[in-house]
Amino acid sequence: MTENIFGVVGLFEDPAALLKAVPLVQSKRLGKLEAYTPYPVHGLPGVLGLSRSPLGGMVLVMGALGTLTAFLFQWWMNSVDYPLVVGGKDPSSWQAFVPIMFEVTVLFAAFTAGLGMLLLLNRLPDLWHPFLLSKSCAEVTRDKFALSIEAESGSLDVAAAQAILRQAGALSVEVVAFPAPASKVSLNALLALSAAGALTCALAGAGMYGAVKLFPVLPPMSHMLVQPRLDAQQRGMRPPVAGTVARGRMPYLGALGNPLPRTKAVLELGRKVFSNNCLICHGPLANGTPILTAAYGAKPANLQAKKFLSYTDGEIYHAIMHGKNAMPALGLGFTEDERWAVVHYVRALQRAQHAQDTDLP
Amino acid sequence: MMPALTIQRFWANWLVWMLMLLSAGLGALFVVALEHLTDARWSVPLRRTAERVSGLVVPGSVAALVALFSLKVLYPWARPEAVTMPLVMAKAGWLNIPFFIARTLVCVALWLLSWKVLAGGSLKQDESRALVWTLRLRRFSPFFLVVMGLTTLVVAFDWISSLEPEWYSDVIGVYLFSGMFLAGLSAVVLAVSHLIEKGRLPQVRFDHLYNLGAWMFAFTVFWSYIAFAQYLLMWYADLPEEVYWYQQRSHGPWRGLCLVLALAHFVIPFFALVPQDAKGDLKRLKRVAVLVLAAHFLDLYWLVFPVLGDRPLFSWPELSFACFFVGLAVLWVRRSMSQGADMPVGDPFLEEGLAFKL
Amino acid sequence: MLPELLRPEPLVEGSISAAVLDERVLAFPERRPPRAWFVAFAAAASCMSLGFALIGYTIVTGIGVWGNNRPVAWAFDIINFVFWIGIGHAGTLISAILFLFRARWRNGLARFAEAMTIFAVMTAGLFPLIHLGRPWLAYWLFPYPNQRGLWPNFRSPLMWDVFAVSTYFSVSILFWYLGLLPDLASLRDRTTSRARRILYTILSLGWRGSAGHWRHYEKAYLLLAGLATGLVLSVHSVVSFDFAVSVVPGWHMTIFPPYFVVGAIFSGFAMVVLVLAVVRRVMALEDLITLRHLELGNKVILGCSCLMGYSYLCEAFTAWYSMNPYIHHTFLQYISGTYGWAGWLAIACNTLVPQIFWLRRARRSLPVMAIVGVAALAGMWFERFTIIVISLYHDFLPSSWLVYKPTFVDYGILLGSFGFFFTCVLLFSRVLPVIATSEVKGSLHD
Repeated sequence: MTENIFGVVGLFEDPAALLKAVPLVQSKRLGKLEAYTPYPVHGLPGVLGLSRSPLGGMVLVMGALGTLTAFLFQWWMNSVDYPLVVGGKDPSSWQAFVPIMFEVTVLFAAFTAGLGMLLLLNRLPDLWHPFLLSKSCAEVTRDKFALSIEAESGSLDVAAAQAILRQAGALSVEVVAFPAPASKVSLNALLALSAAGALTCALAGAGMYGAVKLFPVLPPMSHMLVQPRLDAQQRGMRPPVAGTVARGRMPYLGALGNPLPRTKAVLELGRKVFSNNCLICHGPLANGTPILTAAYGAKPANLQAKKFLSYTDGEIYHAIMHGKNAMPALGLGFTEDERWAVVHYVRALQRAQHAQDTDLP
Repeated sequence: MMPALTIQRFWANWLVWMLMLLSAGLGALFVVALEHLTDARWSVPLRRTAERVSGLVVPGSVAALVALFSLKVLYPWARPEAVTMPLVMAKAGWLNIPFFIARTLVCVALWLLSWKVLAGGSLKQDESRALVWTLRLRRFSPFFLVVMGLTTLVVAFDWISSLEPEWYSDVIGVYLFSGMFLAGLSAVVLAVSHLIEKGRLPQVRFDHLYNLGAWMFAFTVFWSYIAFAQYLLMWYADLPEEVYWYQQRSHGPWRGLCLVLALAHFVIPFFALVPQDAKGDLKRLKRVAVLVLAAHFLDLYWLVFPVLGDRPLFSWPELSFACFFVGLAVLWVRRSMSQGADMPVGDPFLEEGLAFKL
Repeated sequence: MLPELLRPEPLVEGSISAAVLDERVLAFPERRPPRAWFVAFAAAASCMSLGFALIGYTIVTGIGVWGNNRPVAWAFDIINFVFWIGIGHAGTLISAILFLFRARWRNGLARFAEAMTIFAVMTAGLFPLIHLGRPWLAYWLFPYPNQRGLWPNFRSPLMWDVFAVSTYFSVSILFWYLGLLPDLASLRDRTTSRARRILYTILSLGWRGSAGHWRHYEKAYLLLAGLATGLVLSVHSVVSFDFAVSVVPGWHMTIFPPYFVVGAIFSGFAMVVLVLAVVRRVMALEDLITLRHLELGNKVILGCSCLMGYSYLCEAFTAWYSMNPYIHHTFLQYISGTYGWAGWLAIACNTLVPQIFWLRRARRSLPVMAIVGVAALAGMWFERFTIIVISLYHDFLPSSWLVYKPTFVDYGILLGSFGFFFTCVLLFSRVLPVIATSEVKGSLHD
């Protein structure tokens, strides 16, 4: 029955006794030597001839990978795919990426250290290891130190192992067998398990469907549109009284025309502001074909429509300034010149789509 | 070259090297105080070496007193007749010559006193073997920590920050302190390795050196953390009275220096000390220590020299200053090495320290 | 022979064997807790329920039920967030930094302190979530490809917070779990109940303490300690960036990162010392968590308090030295004006009261510890109040000045956060070993 023997375990009182016993047992070369201790014992790996843990290198590599990942992610998202200007900084600036790079480095490195140690190097979980089923295991996790001679290629001289452990001063010696092989899983049990799984899935699905059907929108989902202090929150920098006209400013509605000359520079400015702000909804030709999908159901105005061709410059300016229908008031984000430049540019786009013979050179 | 600039250049060099001497001296003294404070064992065999290096506080203090003659040359606020910015004029309550001199005198007195107590007390214990000295030094060391904190703050604000009196940063004291401690550790490493090579510290092993290496590693990271945090905050907020300071230190030819500083003060020492074995490897520690001292010099140079103009000056005057002060420091420390025992033989914990195991 | 004063005290009073240690510490989860535990649990759980009820009210109604308003748009929620994150820092400091310093005295405290870290971070995490106003949209904070074609703004310090706090939380749990592993194995082997045995077997992953395993385990623990040290510095620094990258007077200060970290450790240690002073008594662990442990904790508190004083000094001096009238005004508001009392309270509690720990007798006296601990916690809470509310309530223009008044919901949620934290702590002390027995066994031996 030697095939069924995992090994022979001797228990020792303290680390010193264990360390002293190792060379003696080692000299006999009966099998693979392993020690089990309640806490790491200084010098034991050296005596047992264990190599150093390769974990440090793994952690360094994965940490570096974390740094790189975090940098590339942030750079691609905030500098390439959706360039974002924050605080007047260059969209490609790297400085503000550093904190997250650091955090992700630590995250990668820490989980490599923890999980790499447990799963990869130590091959845990291992819930059916023969040693766990031995009597010595409970002694070890309390206060004893075990030295075990384990069968190599299935054979072990049990009697010699017991003798040498006793000779080395073991308090007790235990022969540990492999656990009896687990009974085969029956087909019925497998079927029952699958049935239970399917039933759970079906129930969960039905429940979810019912929940979504019955309660599509719950009160918290009002997205804070209604709440007690909505009005109070408007305090702070007070907006001027309605109809206020700043000193030295002329109202622009009505007959007043565009104050800017229609020069190349102005049109270029208009193009820039339009491309950055208007184009995404009104489309590059201002014909109401948005770049964004119409996710919100809004239908941006087609500025090439007859209605808008007949607008005065002032009316277009007013729409930029105060918004129109679903379009938000965007005007305060620009200088007055930029607004008028956009008006020029919209005019140019309109004319390009409705060119007349006189426009030909 | 204009003579005025030559004078400025002389004093700028002087200032940098005075700070170098003080860094090595006070940093080493801090190593000594930490041992008393934390009741550490590993550093007992190395403590005498640290105490000897801390003797550099004396030439450093003398250099600081001499540097008082540089005020009118280097510091705009010291020529009130030439100050036009109201912002700077308003700071006259702090930035005026008599008060500045008084602050420097107080700092110098505190440094010399601390050195006398910490290094001298240990020597006295060698003779008398009286345990009371251990107690006295332990009680004194927290006060030295306070002294160190406050005086580095004053030095940072007075000698460095006020070169450009409109600029300010709260953390400059911590920044200077971390660099100084690192320089002190490096100087101690060099002195220890010299003694080991001469066979004068026979029982000092990997385990003792490992802790020195670990402290160097920790403070390399800490210095970088402080330096980057200060930069990030100023870069992000972009306030004119702050950010111009970085502007002039990170543009043009100074950009290259910034990169070198980042490499020499952080990247290379960090990766050199990251492996566990490297922290106690004397040869590697020695190389890193030389690099870190050079980086600390570059750091101080980068703090001081941009006030002279928009391109870095580095030529024979800088080299001769370097030769003079490095030579002075080496001679000074070697002289103290020829006196007394190489380890604190009167310390009751010396045996435990020698037996120290990681 | 060394004189009495120079010889370090033993970390464990009297002699205790590993087997007795197991009997004392690991038996807790199997025994019925004392009556005091139930009383404390009822009190904590009631506070917690109150807090969660008010959080529910907030979510259903909107954050208008709080006192927040312009210009004080950040108030109790952010104060509590910073406060609780700070409390968490002591645990990591004890488990990671003191481990690297090989300060053996940490072994007795580490487990409890790490648990407190996790619970404190959980408590803290609640606040940014409810501060969002629409917590069900919190997933917007994470970068995932979406229909809107948008990415989060990674240059926002609030985004850095998301990464810092979630990393901190997950790494703390990992670190804690690794420490627990050998103890779970002990629990597995000593329990008599079959259900518990199965549970502990799974939780311990079949840990068997082989020399080959310990070799990797020790390395992993060391690496994690190093990483956690950097992490703990970074977390509160990132929290401080929330304020310091702005241009708000009183927020934009370069000393904020290290100063926040020190403050965090200060308050965290105050909490650890306070809780352990009670726990060691109630659980009769006075010989394992000795007066020396508490004294060393108090020394850390004293050191941090001095560093806090240093930071206050730097801030006050730089505020004057900046010659910026807005900064001058804000700093005057810290010590005078509507909330001047809060500023003085913070200064007194954080820098003056702990100075009593220069006296050895005070460091070892339980009543003094309790007073200083409570003062430090109150002081640190009010410090964050000072930083957040006072810097905001007088905006640049006098037209934007407004006195902030918290509502009962604010107070209720604050109380609830303490309830949540202590409920977690009490549950932990009930189901898991409160002392890292494996580590203490190691230090018992030499």
